[in-house]
Amino acid sequence: MGKPKVAFFDFACCEGCQIEMTNYGAEPFLELLNHVEIVEFREAMTEKTTEPIDIAFIEGSFTRECDRARLEEIRERAAIVIAYGQCATTGGINALKNHQDDYKEYVYGTDSDMPHLDSQKAYGVDAAIKVDYYAYGCPVNKYEVLQIVLHLLHGKEPVIPNYPVCVECKRRETVCRFLEGDHCMGMVARAGCTAPCPAAGIPCEACRGFVDDPNIPALEKVLVEQAGFTPQRAHEKGRMFTANALEATS
Amino acid sequence: MKKVSIDPITRLEGHGKIEIFVDDNGEVANVYFQIPELRGFERFCVGRPVEELARITPRICGVCPEAHHMAAAKAIDACYGAEPTRTGKMLREILYNAFSAADHTTHFFVLAAPDFVVGPMADPAERNILGLIAKVGPEAGGKVIQMRAWSHELIEIIGGRSVHPVSTVPGGVSKPLSKEEAARVKEIADYQVEFAQFAIEIFNQVVLGNSEYVDLIMSDMYAHKTYYMGVVDENNKVNFYDGDIRVVDPDGKEFVKFAPDDYLQHITERVEPYSYLVYPYLTGVGWKGFVDGKDSGVYRAAPLARLNAADGMSTPLAQAEYERYFETLGGKPVHATLATHWARLVELLYAAERTQDLANDPDVTSTDIHSMPTGITGEGIGVVEAPRGTLYHHYKTDENGFVTACNLIVGTTNNNAAISMSLKKAAQGLIQPGGEISEGLLNEVEMAFRAYDPCFGCATHTLFGEMPLEVAVREQSTGEVLNTVRRFV
Repeated sequence: MGKPKVAFFDFACCEGCQIEMTNYGAEPFLELLNHVEIVEFREAMTEKTTEPIDIAFIEGSFTRECDRARLEEIRERAAIVIAYGQCATTGGINALKNHQDDYKEYVYGTDSDMPHLDSQKAYGVDAAIKVDYYAYGCPVNKYEVLQIVLHLLHGKEPVIPNYPVCVECKRRETVCRFLEGDHCMGMVARAGCTAPCPAAGIPCEACRGFVDDPNIPALEKVLVEQAGFTPQRAHEKGRMFTANALEATS
Repeated sequence: MKKVSIDPITRLEGHGKIEIFVDDNGEVANVYFQIPELRGFERFCVGRPVEELARITPRICGVCPEAHHMAAAKAIDACYGAEPTRTGKMLREILYNAFSAADHTTHFFVLAAPDFVVGPMADPAERNILGLIAKVGPEAGGKVIQMRAWSHELIEIIGGRSVHPVSTVPGGVSKPLSKEEAARVKEIADYQVEFAQFAIEIFNQVVLGNSEYVDLIMSDMYAHKTYYMGVVDENNKVNFYDGDIRVVDPDGKEFVKFAPDDYLQHITERVEPYSYLVYPYLTGVGWKGFVDGKDSGVYRAAPLARLNAADGMSTPLAQAEYERYFETLGGKPVHATLATHWARLVELLYAAERTQDLANDPDVTSTDIHSMPTGITGEGIGVVEAPRGTLYHHYKTDENGFVTACNLIVGTTNNNAAISMSLKKAAQGLIQPGGEISEGLLNEVEMAFRAYDPCFGCATHTLFGEMPLEVAVREQSTGEVLNTVRRFV
């Protein structure tokens, strides 16, 4: 049997996750190439589009209806679809526009009625197709992606954390942001990043989204009582990377 | 001319697209470059607490998040009236220069060099980083990978993360540098300087050593006499992190020098009916269309422009290279678009030396890393030199520090008009009536575009040296597609 064929595709995003994948350094990167064959990077739908793929990585949000057909075609060809990066898993930062309807006027002013300046709400790609695995994060944790690929190569189920970032701060003995007089989203944010932001003295923004079943009212209560937020700010705080999830819970 | 009506929403992907229109005689009539995607950052930043913008705006671009992080940090300093401490500013500038060096490395070795090293007409399957490694040897490839990995390690040490760094706060940074970290930063900076010299050596051998390439670079087909913009320090030397904005005219004379806060008086943004991306021009000259010359407000930014707009480099090795660059290319200003590649390497050397200088300052490990906000001023403008041009972040806030307005001019946007002009001129020079329009030929057209290292909403970078780009050649009167070349691996 030949090496599994891996392909990368992208939609609305910043490509930071691709960049993160180039930062492994020579050894892990070249070693990985011994075990998988990278057959396509983006725009692959323009030519030979029928070749089957073992693992398709999809980056970026589903934000234009016209992208649905392209996503469906990828799904049809791929044995496994992995949404990687927050834009693809939950809509990510792009979903920050979902509660607004005047961004076109805002960006382009009186020119905004030009017909091509259109855009739609941003969702994860699972709004269009079935996704098998999710590699969260803005950007992804490249070592977690490596773990996911390794598990799949060995026929194992990848383990995706469903515990909060607080767990990882405790593990690396980072002092809680709240004890420093700051705020934080770590108690409802999905872990797996190894909590680098609180360790750098910056609150967690939940860039990997929420854990399953986050207690949002409790989060808002803590932000109001411990960090002195107004109730409105406490409510909107969670929108940065989790706008769609917030929408679903409220 | 037939009306060009393009609906990018129906296009396959949201990336750069070039349309070349030929007339009945087979001659190039016009070239359009389009950006068919909108993500809406300027709007959705409104309503957020302004301190979040240092962590929201980097998500505009995974290639240059550090540039947005720094421009945002400086705008936020101003919104809070928090002047950075010396060490806070040093740590930001180290991160920023290390990033600039890494980014220039990526562009030169992954995107640009394959054209020169492997050859512009080579099979696209070989005209990429892997073909480059095959030509110059695996050792060079290893050095490039190490340069990227180590530079991003430095970014992570100071910025908290390697992509989308988080560590700036109003008035400085959130975390001091430990002695051990400082030692590693120094080691990485030393390697960056060594690497930059190696990169220039490769350029000497492969490009300057080949008269065909030198002729190509200097040919009129790839030249435009425009205004040039760049940030300069108090001695008019190139600076990426801080300074005033200097604009020189097509003769190289200073046209205007202004403080970042005054940018709105000097730059106007124009919208065209076929692209998401605006076209900025110099207000003081005015918009005369897609033309060059002293009467046209079209200006250029990024390495070519920065070297033209400054009087030199503030570090010794880069200054020597700066002098050699202008001596070799016939004096200031250099109008040859493809010379941007060399200018980029001069800057790579400067960025590495600057990182090294700052890393050797004993204050780098001081714990005086940030000042305290003095109040909410309601407005802030932050400007840095991003790898692809002068980057402007402009925020207004209410009395509680929530954003009420946000305007961004990103690096590449500065060059938007010039890119269209360069593409048209190259296409007119290369595509002859009746001649075959080959992949190699279109690649030479695209080289005019690639020199700018365009980064349209992060759309034009990918691994292994191929920009996701579609070039379509159409019959002018009917719009019929004569030939299409798409680039991907």
